[in-house]
Amino acid sequence: MPFGLIWHNLRRHWLRSALTIGSLGIALFLITALRALVNSLEAGVRGAAGNRIVVGSDVSLWVQLPTSYQAKIAQIEGVEKLIKWQWFGAYYQTSADLFAQWAVDKDVLFDVYPEMKLVAGSMDEFLVRRDACLVGIELAKTYGWKPGDTIPLLGNTYPRADGGAWQFYCAGVYEARLPVDNRSMFFDYAYLEQAGEAGETMYWPGCMLYVARTAEGADQEAVIQAIDRLYENGPYKTKTQPESEFNRQFVTMVGNIPALMAAIGGAVSFAIVMAALNTMLMAARERTRDLGIMKALGFTDGTAFALMLVESFAIAAAGGLIGVGTALATESAIAFQLSANLFPGYEITPDMIMGAVAAAIAIGLVAGIVPAWRASRLRAVEAIRAGA
Amino acid sequence: MAVVPFEYNLRSLFVRRSSTLLTVIGIGATVAVLAGVLALQQGFARLFSETGRDDVAIFLRPGSSSEGESGFTREHAETLMKSTPEIARDEAGQPLASGELYVAVRLRKNDGGETNVPVRGVQDLSFAIRGEQFRIVEGARFKPGTDEVIVGKSLAMRIPHAQIGDVIVLNLTPFRVVGHFESDGPFTSEMWGDLDRMTEALQRDGCSRVIAKLVDGADVAELRERLENDKVSPAKVQTERQYLTAQTIALSAILITLGGFLGFVMGIAAVFTGINSMLSAISARTSEIGVLLSIGFRPWSIFVAFLLESVLLGLLGGVVGCLMALPLNGVRTGTTNFQTFTEVAFAFRITSDVLVPAVVFALVLGVLGGLWPAWRASRMRPTEALRRA
Repeated sequence: MPFGLIWHNLRRHWLRSALTIGSLGIALFLITALRALVNSLEAGVRGAAGNRIVVGSDVSLWVQLPTSYQAKIAQIEGVEKLIKWQWFGAYYQTSADLFAQWAVDKDVLFDVYPEMKLVAGSMDEFLVRRDACLVGIELAKTYGWKPGDTIPLLGNTYPRADGGAWQFYCAGVYEARLPVDNRSMFFDYAYLEQAGEAGETMYWPGCMLYVARTAEGADQEAVIQAIDRLYENGPYKTKTQPESEFNRQFVTMVGNIPALMAAIGGAVSFAIVMAALNTMLMAARERTRDLGIMKALGFTDGTAFALMLVESFAIAAAGGLIGVGTALATESAIAFQLSANLFPGYEITPDMIMGAVAAAIAIGLVAGIVPAWRASRLRAVEAIRAGA
Repeated sequence: MAVVPFEYNLRSLFVRRSSTLLTVIGIGATVAVLAGVLALQQGFARLFSETGRDDVAIFLRPGSSSEGESGFTREHAETLMKSTPEIARDEAGQPLASGELYVAVRLRKNDGGETNVPVRGVQDLSFAIRGEQFRIVEGARFKPGTDEVIVGKSLAMRIPHAQIGDVIVLNLTPFRVVGHFESDGPFTSEMWGDLDRMTEALQRDGCSRVIAKLVDGADVAELRERLENDKVSPAKVQTERQYLTAQTIALSAILITLGGFLGFVMGIAAVFTGINSMLSAISARTSEIGVLLSIGFRPWSIFVAFLLESVLLGLLGGVVGCLMALPLNGVRTGTTNFQTFTEVAFAFRITSDVLVPAVVFALVLGVLGGLWPAWRASRMRPTEALRRA
């Protein structure tokens, strides 16, 4: 098998080869990245824990449930741990610095969310200090926060009566995987409660959500019904859902736009691939005379066939390599950007890489098979005459 | 100085039509994606900002950026309405102002999912302030003080039990749908009812915001400054147009970033395809270039001719792309307003703000695709070009 010939052919029109490889690389990168984007939307659903249920107001995500519900929900059989989540709605420096701050019951946070791991700082300090908070690893990176720092936040949902900023002590940095994102801040609900009771801010004793960890072997459906029955006559009706179902509503919220985008992107990638195919077929046609001479020199039909096919595969493989390589190289940067814009969970999975590789092989085959077949059937005399 | 006739390039594009077609489709698809994303952004942004009025003021709690997070007590709202001299008054001397409650209510959608529907409790004067912008298209307005609601046209198509005579339960209170309304702007995705009944049913107190018609020539900037530092009843004041424009910033930024990213990446591929197409066109015409050069055309005329040919490819691609995007115009879709996390229905809009950047983008792709091949063509030596053929 004359590999030197393939290399030489690719180099003869190096610019054309490079541009074709480049276009294929871009198309494969786009296919992979768009798949990852669409896939990321479901990450919160896929990562949901089977033993967690979410209790919210039946009316609205923005209507709070009274804190007095906590004791009653905790008593229901099958509820092992219960944690409050309350949106704090403050901002750092300017209102463009958007990230979520949650007032939670800090003593059970890691029990309910075992996927959260402390990567810096001290858990003891978090539990002991009243004003302590934990920040997500991406958030810490964005603002350069580290354990021991003081984080001033301007209250929006909870403006301070004195007009000043809330002061939080950064006790640690956590890393988690979805559904818990790495751009949130957690602190103790009691801190908010005490400030409210001391008249430092307008405060109503309530929270947006309760999340319960159910006991192993508990009948989740029964637990859900028992909770909702407690308050079916108000004053604040609850709606309890498994965590996966609760997270799914955010997927539907984004609507069909990402799917639409992915469809368009797929179509464009197809167009790019078609154009690259055309170039490859064109290149093959130019080769007619060379092939005729080779046949006259005694190269077999099989060699001619293999020569053309391998050349096509070489281009497709190089394109695939560039596409997958770009997708992997940009993965963390894109993930960080998306996550900062409320879309966490961008990830290139082995599945997507396999998909891109399969697409590259298919392109190599489709682009190579017709020229290869023609090359094998070529008669030396005709080829030389036609190419002259 | 001799210029290569334009017809030469036109014919050349026709002769290699399959390669021309693929290049045009490549550029066209790229342009279409860009135009599609921009049309989405335009539809969304214009829905909000075009319909906002300059003579209507929105009062929010200081520090809040949307009515979803804003809130006033009833007394606070009353004080604002009664003691702001910039607020216009009706014949009876009543200030043309209204407290409004805004809650994103969880309701089921027709397709089975759940969505956050903006439910608005309004006072009587809300209608007077909106005037012609607000129209009942079917049924009638709700009667003040009753458990009746009216539903926006766009919303009525998206959720069940929203037809006239149906009953929608909010928290524990059943509300009867008595009318459908249409309005310029995002209200048509909302459900409206009586302020007092809504606050009671949804267990809220006070209201989210105050809206008011301003007297002619009111100085909004001065009003904003005065109320921001007011000791008794502070508020953040914006005109409705300013408020609605601010609502679109987050989603617009996401869409423009996404469109820009896709356009950039696909644009590179389109330029590659363009260069390849031009290069093969030039190599097939080496002898012609030799002839052109030897009969006295200057290299720069060759350069201009081939660059023009590539720009023409770009222009064709741009036109094809815009044509591909055109059917999107008016297609209705829904997305979330990330400022309030509620669903808004709107339509793609192909405007000049979509078409002009799309065509300019296509021309840029054409220029980028043609520069290098055209330069190569202009650098050929006549003797060699003729011999190589």
